[in-house]
Amino acid sequence: MRGRPAGGILAGYVPGSSWLHRAPLWGKFLGVVAAGAASCFLLDWKASGAVLLVLVAAWGSARLGWRRLAGSGRLMLPLCAVLGAFQWWQLGPATAARIVLNLLVCFVAAGLLTATVPLRELLDAVARLAHPLRRWGADPERFALALAIMLRSIPVLAASFDEVGDAARARGLERSVRARALPVVLSAVAYGRRTGEALAARGLADGD
Amino acid sequence: MSRIELDGVTVAVSLEDRPDKVVLDGVSATLTERRVGIIGANGSGKSTLLRLLNGLVEPTAGTVSIGGMDTVRDGRAVRRQVGFVFTDPLSQLVMPTGREDVELSLRRSHRSRSERAAAAQSVLDRFGLGTLADQSVYELSGGERQLMALAAVLAVDPEVLVLDEPSTLLDLRNRDLLRRTVSGLDQQVIFSTHDLELALDAERVLVVDGGRIAFDGSPAAGVAYYRELCGLPARPRA
Amino acid sequence: MSQKTAPHGQGISRPRRTWDAQSLALVAVFAALIAVSAIVPGIPVGSFGVPITLQTLAVVLTALVLGGTRAAAAVGLYLIVAFAGLPIFSGGRAGLQILAGGSAGYVVSFLVGAYVLGVLAELVIRRFAAARRVLWFFIASLLVSVVIIHGFGVLGMMINLKLSWNAAFVADLAYYPGDILKDLVAAVAASAVHRAFPDVLVRRVKRA
Repeated sequence: MRGRPAGGILAGYVPGSSWLHRAPLWGKFLGVVAAGAASCFLLDWKASGAVLLVLVAAWGSARLGWRRLAGSGRLMLPLCAVLGAFQWWQLGPATAARIVLNLLVCFVAAGLLTATVPLRELLDAVARLAHPLRRWGADPERFALALAIMLRSIPVLAASFDEVGDAARARGLERSVRARALPVVLSAVAYGRRTGEALAARGLADGD
Repeated sequence: MSRIELDGVTVAVSLEDRPDKVVLDGVSATLTERRVGIIGANGSGKSTLLRLLNGLVEPTAGTVSIGGMDTVRDGRAVRRQVGFVFTDPLSQLVMPTGREDVELSLRRSHRSRSERAAAAQSVLDRFGLGTLADQSVYELSGGERQLMALAAVLAVDPEVLVLDEPSTLLDLRNRDLLRRTVSGLDQQVIFSTHDLELALDAERVLVVDGGRIAFDGSPAAGVAYYRELCGLPARPRA
Repeated sequence: MSQKTAPHGQGISRPRRTWDAQSLALVAVFAALIAVSAIVPGIPVGSFGVPITLQTLAVVLTALVLGGTRAAAAVGLYLIVAFAGLPIFSGGRAGLQILAGGSAGYVVSFLVGAYVLGVLAELVIRRFAAARRVLWFFIASLLVSVVIIHGFGVLGMMINLKLSWNAAFVADLAYYPGDILKDLVAAVAASAVHRAFPDVLVRRVKRA
């Protein structure tokens, strides 16, 4: 398996030092949860629209880039259009607007969190969350280890997908799901076993 | 040097629907030399022999001990004393960067984070890897990766170092770098190889064939024996 | 050289407090496999050349190869990292936003589905000889796909997009042909993996 640098893999985070970047992580997390809840409680499309405007303003004030917002919005656009049209036909324009706007509220709120916290920090926070669970058998250190192995396996497996794809094409099998999937899985298992063996050899999985 | 003892070691792998496959068959040896090379064909059992040395493979019959410690009973202590470097450093380096990987090795031996960082830095500097430590391990060359894996294993100061075909994936220049690095180590080194030049660096050579030790003696005689075993003239033509 | 197995003979049985290194590494590598399969381009299938994405295939395979607990852990690890912002949801999406959209139900179903299918896979291995496993793997994954993955998927669309049961069901139908094919490939591939690496799951289950 040949390696290659994993490009754009940290695409979520936008570096910066705005008030939103400096805001505590738990605060931002609560914000996302609140936005999720809002989609159930906001029953007027005008209220939903106002919340969405506030969130978009927050995005602007944190200098996260309008192009990024538009870019991720483009992913949502077809869904919103189809959904809006369908619900308009079923339930009328006001309800359709409310449903679509609430969807966008959740989307932008979650985007605000992932754009202002670096991935490492988020994952560290998740590992810290596991600490109180220790007494029920959770092991933050092993979790961190599994996380590290997963992140560094992604480029290895992506390369193996490429290689297998090339090999299948060379044999004229590019449309065979089996010829494309099986070698990847076999090499993934072999790679996992080699990694496990290396962990065991270094005594890293021995526990305390 | 630690006294490495294999006493009547048999390793059999049980296969579904088929009779067990005997990988090593009653192997006994006592290794006390500073550099021991193990050569043999693919599937001869030499990898299994190496994996016995730090408890990765447990003997089906017989015992293996390192400095008096049994590899099964005292597995954890043995693994702390015997460092193992695999052929492919990419399956060995588990963290995204070399520095994190070295620090991972040190996680048990140092109390504080700053102590660990300092110890990691000194190991990396010793191998001339200081400037590469924060790069993704993917961006390193094969030789640099192999050195990084070596550094991560040596960070905890094992007494014995086991290298499984360390030069197989390296080009000529990197292979030379590896040879020089290994020859400068204080540790007892046991390595397997197909690289007969590397084998000549050892003080003692074992040739493994069909799960048994077929030859045990000086490197030059061992290499000649192995060449004949493969149907080649004992000495390469100049 | 590939003697990868530590033989378990002569009553050597050490108490295992937690997962061994092997399992830890496999869980992490399969989490990475699910991630990679979500972001590589789909495979064009048959004469229509409709691309099918590989993500559900990867989830089903993970369950069939690793068994219940470890498969659920692998999917859980994947979800945590994706929620935290690594763009590894299908189409290169990331973050908690996914829970707002139409695919939320499918995402959640992966966790439940992987666990249930993994448990079923252990059962199949205990009950049937290698030759008949492909068939039973296929039946089990079909069952889990239809009941759990599509069930949660429809539910997700009803909750998030406020669709009626009928509308959601019709929207979901489009995925059926691809999924049946994927289940078949997964069953064949998984039984090949178990033949190539008999102690990944088979020996664990049989010893238990």
